[in-house]
Amino acid sequence: MALSDAEIGRFARQLLLPGLGEEGQERLRSARVRVAGGGPGTAPALLYLAAAGVGTLWIDDPDAVAPGDGAGFMFDASDVGRPRAVAAAEAVRAASGLVQADVPRPGARPTAVLVSAPTQEVSRAVAEEARLLGLPHVVVEVDGQGGAVTVVPAGAPCYACAVRPGLGAEPTPAGAATVGALAALELVLLAAGVAEEPRGRRVEVFRGTPLTRATARQPGCACAAGAVPAP
Amino acid sequence: MANPVARLDIRDLACPLTWVRTSVALGRIRPGEVLEVLLREGEPLENVPRTAAEEGHLVLRLERAPGEAEGVWRAWLARRAREKEVRWP
Repeated sequence: MALSDAEIGRFARQLLLPGLGEEGQERLRSARVRVAGGGPGTAPALLYLAAAGVGTLWIDDPDAVAPGDGAGFMFDASDVGRPRAVAAAEAVRAASGLVQADVPRPGARPTAVLVSAPTQEVSRAVAEEARLLGLPHVVVEVDGQGGAVTVVPAGAPCYACAVRPGLGAEPTPAGAATVGALAALELVLLAAGVAEEPRGRRVEVFRGTPLTRATARQPGCACAAGAVPAP
Repeated sequence: MANPVARLDIRDLACPLTWVRTSVALGRIRPGEVLEVLLREGEPLENVPRTAAEEGHLVLRLERAPGEAEGVWRAWLARRAREKEVRWP
């Protein structure tokens, strides 16, 4: 369905980006993105995904809002103790009237996943789940000097092939905002179908400087066999 | 010269929506088909036909719009035959 005049006005400048256009914006509107993990990059990623016009966001986060989450500029003191996914969905809906944001419902079938977990171990598990379902996904990691974003289109080398040990330093709000927004941008590129054959890559941000490299499959990794068809 | 298959009135719009709406309208017709755009003198007249040409579309006609008020122009734009290639960054 063509964009409405209100949508054209809202996404005016984005519609002019090479390769996006009305068709790409329509693909964003029909995208259903599961945002999983509740890591420090989640809040900025959610707001940027909503601002870009992703139609449906399912926020999968089992924890409650903690006092330090206010630094993620999505929550305030009155949210402390509430389920973080519920509070985040409210904040996302308040930021954009064009997005459906909620906690995942039974039977929800996402078209892509943004993995934003507090640890690499959790990220590995969630990313592997997405890979096995054949879903394109983007993994965001935040550390004390910035962080990293790993892009895994369907069939690309998996997150476990691409990941490198982080510095282990405490994440900073600036680092979370930087790599969270970058992860949202990468997911938008995937969901809008800007490239016919997107490739896997990893962007590492160190003190504000990004370094991008193509990902490569590790010898013997199970991801070479591809996704497992859903039962 | 082919006749327009669609018509767009951007007289009430300001930059950047003048070109955004034109670009979207061009995307809704087929390559080679013609869009007629009604536009005002000043920024729209200066920028819309020029940007269309820069983007590879053809400006087939640019003239004062017959039967319209002073300062209203019409442009006939033919959609480019091929989309620009976008490289995955």
